[in-house]
Amino acid sequence: MRQTMAGPRPWTFYVFASFFALFVLFLYGPMTVIYILSFQGPTGGLTFPMRGVSLRWFHALVAAERVGDIDGAFGRSLVLAMIVAVLTVVLSVSAGLAFRRRFAGSGLLFYLAIASLIMPGLFVGLGIAVGFQLLGLDINWYSSSLGAQLTWTLPYGLLIMFAVLGRFNRAYEEAATDLGATPWQRLREVVLPILMPGIIGVALFGFTLSYDEFPRTVLTAGTKNTLPLEIWAMTTNVTSPALFAVGTVTTIISFIAIGIALVSIAVIQRRRTRGTGERI
Amino acid sequence: MVKGLSRVVSWLQVAPVALILILFFGLPMLVVAAVSFFDYGQGRLYPAFIFDNYVEVFSSSVTLRLYLSSLKFALIVWAVTLFIGFNVAYFLVFHVRTVLWQIGLFLLCTVPFWTSNIIRMISWIPFLGRNGIFNETFMGLGIVSHPMEFLLFSDFAVVVAYVHLFTLFMVVPIFNSMARIDRSLIEAAYDAGAGRWRILTEVILPLSKTGIALGSIFVITLVMGDFFVVKVMSGGQSASVVSALSNEISAIQYPPAAANALILVVIVTLMVSGILRLVDVRKELTG
Amino acid sequence: MPSENGNGEIRIVNVTKRFGDMAAVQDLSLTIPDKGYCCLLGPSGCGKTTILRMIAGHETPTTGEILIGGEPVVGLSPVQRGTAMMFQSYALFPHRSVLDNVAFSLKLRGASKADRHKQARELLTKVRMERFADRLPAQLSGGQQQRVALARALITNPRVLLLDEPLSALDEYLRLRMRGELRRVQKELGITFIHVTHTQLEAIAVADLVVVMAQGRIEQAANAQEIFTAPRNAYVARFMGGQNVLSGTVDSVANGHAIIVDECGVSFSTAIAGEKPGLGSRLFGSIRRDRISVSKALGCTAASDKINSLVGEIHAIEYQGSYVKITIERSSGEEFVANIVDNEFFRDPLDIGDSVVARWSARDVLTLEGTADAKDASMGDAAGVLI
Repeated sequence: MRQTMAGPRPWTFYVFASFFALFVLFLYGPMTVIYILSFQGPTGGLTFPMRGVSLRWFHALVAAERVGDIDGAFGRSLVLAMIVAVLTVVLSVSAGLAFRRRFAGSGLLFYLAIASLIMPGLFVGLGIAVGFQLLGLDINWYSSSLGAQLTWTLPYGLLIMFAVLGRFNRAYEEAATDLGATPWQRLREVVLPILMPGIIGVALFGFTLSYDEFPRTVLTAGTKNTLPLEIWAMTTNVTSPALFAVGTVTTIISFIAIGIALVSIAVIQRRRTRGTGERI
Repeated sequence: MVKGLSRVVSWLQVAPVALILILFFGLPMLVVAAVSFFDYGQGRLYPAFIFDNYVEVFSSSVTLRLYLSSLKFALIVWAVTLFIGFNVAYFLVFHVRTVLWQIGLFLLCTVPFWTSNIIRMISWIPFLGRNGIFNETFMGLGIVSHPMEFLLFSDFAVVVAYVHLFTLFMVVPIFNSMARIDRSLIEAAYDAGAGRWRILTEVILPLSKTGIALGSIFVITLVMGDFFVVKVMSGGQSASVVSALSNEISAIQYPPAAANALILVVIVTLMVSGILRLVDVRKELTG
Repeated sequence: MPSENGNGEIRIVNVTKRFGDMAAVQDLSLTIPDKGYCCLLGPSGCGKTTILRMIAGHETPTTGEILIGGEPVVGLSPVQRGTAMMFQSYALFPHRSVLDNVAFSLKLRGASKADRHKQARELLTKVRMERFADRLPAQLSGGQQQRVALARALITNPRVLLLDEPLSALDEYLRLRMRGELRRVQKELGITFIHVTHTQLEAIAVADLVVVMAQGRIEQAANAQEIFTAPRNAYVARFMGGQNVLSGTVDSVANGHAIIVDECGVSFSTAIAGEKPGLGSRLFGSIRRDRISVSKALGCTAASDKINSLVGEIHAIEYQGSYVKITIERSSGEEFVANIVDNEFFRDPLDIGDSVVARWSARDVLTLEGTADAKDASMGDAAGVLI
């Protein structure tokens, strides 16, 4: 199998391409069904056929009639996700910079982070919930859940920073020092700007992982639900397409977050290789 | 002297992360371990050091059934995701020609994973149900005469949902490994007369080992540690270790849940170390 | 603050640098005169880059002193020392335009935008890159990036400029052109340049002072001509290329000359200055490749019964333009190289496989220092020497 830049494609290409297309269909198909069904007519049920098209089920969410505390949960999820994103960025960048040198306990911390990644979230949540209980503290979405979610996002943030910093050329920092930069100036003027795409990636991970997080949050959120918890409750209670409407709305938020991140990264990359410079 | 200062700076930089991981992961895990030895009753915990919870777990026949069920799912899902993941990665790395398309298609696969797992899981329900798309289409095409019941609320549905949710965790590491393969190795094999199949088995497969191992670790730990997919998609017919565990938690029976949790962690750790013994992934993570 | 074009003399005094157990630089002392162009020359791992970085302030000596302009600088930052470095990869900040790259150090000191841009443009004009001021580094070719890196380093008004293998990333043609540029700039600015390289020809082309290094020590530090025509020991002779090194035991001493015989019976004579070497002691000599004449061996007078000649079979013939490089394989398996002027060669050309006699005169044999055979320098052949 040759990697030729031109020339006809081998027949295996079409096999693989079809397989890939099926895979994409497999990924997007069911979700698309939900999006369509969320516009189900007022008298429609949970599956096809569509009895008309309406925004009735979207209204049902905000009207908060019988679909629980959707806007409350929604607001809480957004706020929590943004706090988690900011914290994950600051903490991961800081820790990532430290890991460039050997220091006592670096190996231990690394394995702790990996363990936190692999451990089923339910157990972490259990430990935190029981721990809080034993200490006589209340569990809350903004305290215990925040901590629980950070144990999920920080390892990802760290891994991304490792990857990004691994490719970072130390010569840039030395050049900055050579030209008279203090460590803080080095960070601000050289390191952080160059790492910005990676940092945006960490923020994206932090936001979406928190926004969609379920197992760690389910035991640590306390009385007020985040959106995934609310959705989970709905899977057992609600028997109307309102559930699908929630799905559509929450997916749109996710897409917006992804879109912002990707566009920012693309803009930064474009600016660094901009123009049609003629090379002499 | 300068070295001492830089060490302090490193510790300061790393302290927040270390603190959070210890407070919200390390300690809670110790709490779980401790609680597994507690006594309990009427919704209250009694700190103690008894082995009763473990004895119950090991002597119950339900435990074995649960583990077999979870392992069964883990194995099937692993095989399917490996097959799909490998082929998708292979396609992206070796058949897609421009980097732009590669990144674009890769993103296309990745984007669904940024949306809620629960939503994606329940999106299968209208798809697979008795009146769902699948059945309607198949009946419409005349392939079957009545709706296929096994599609939903069955082991099949559970596997489908797992594959849908977790295949990306296979695609990404394998994609990474494959992308690092030096193309000149493949060209050299081609020059020496190897056909596509031989190149695959002799060159690509061995060099993707780390990616496959990493992906396998992810998928297996995810399946073994899951509780909501099984609950929902099997309609309560099947069970997994963690879903039974979550029932105990709901019933505020924390000590037995903790004991179950610890045992599961030990078993999954053994499985993971088994995989790591076969393939060394450290280079992949730090390289 | 850097001293404004103050004394750029550098004195390295007994400097050792250890990385763990490994000593990259061993008890090294060197004085580089102010306003001089010095090349640190040697194979990878010889310590030349480590020395450069210690002068720059990016590494600290384990023991020893470094003085610039008479002031001890160990512990000072690069800017405080008045040094600036040009990195091998240029390290131009990818997220900043060429102009902002050059103006960077001024920005760090709080200069106003108008001020620093003006100064940066002046410097860019000096390196003839002013019309690329708004480009990004990724849009420049290697040679262009290098000039920008030079401008960026020079804007700090250093008294010493340190160049880490500045020409190795360029292709051959550009390399030769830029060599001249660097020399010109140095003369114009009147500051000290320290240039690290592993290319012998480059070093002797640009430098006032060539420092040949191996394994953390200086083998010889002298001007270019001396390094080439009078290498101090076998290592320098072999590393610089252009020489054949012979060694043997002293057979006899007479008339101010010693006759040395090596293991295969080849004998050469060399002038002795100073104390007479004892009979039987080991001596090294080198003969320039372009001072050798080669002719076909006649009949079976195989054994080289004459002094200052040897017999062997031609192993390789390489045409190098103005001369032809002939590699003769001796019976011992060692190689002996002669560079013959092209006219002379083509008058009576030789072939691979011919048995030949190589001759030279005693006065072209240079005595080398040292009794141990420093064959470890694995630098490969130099790119030939043009007379």
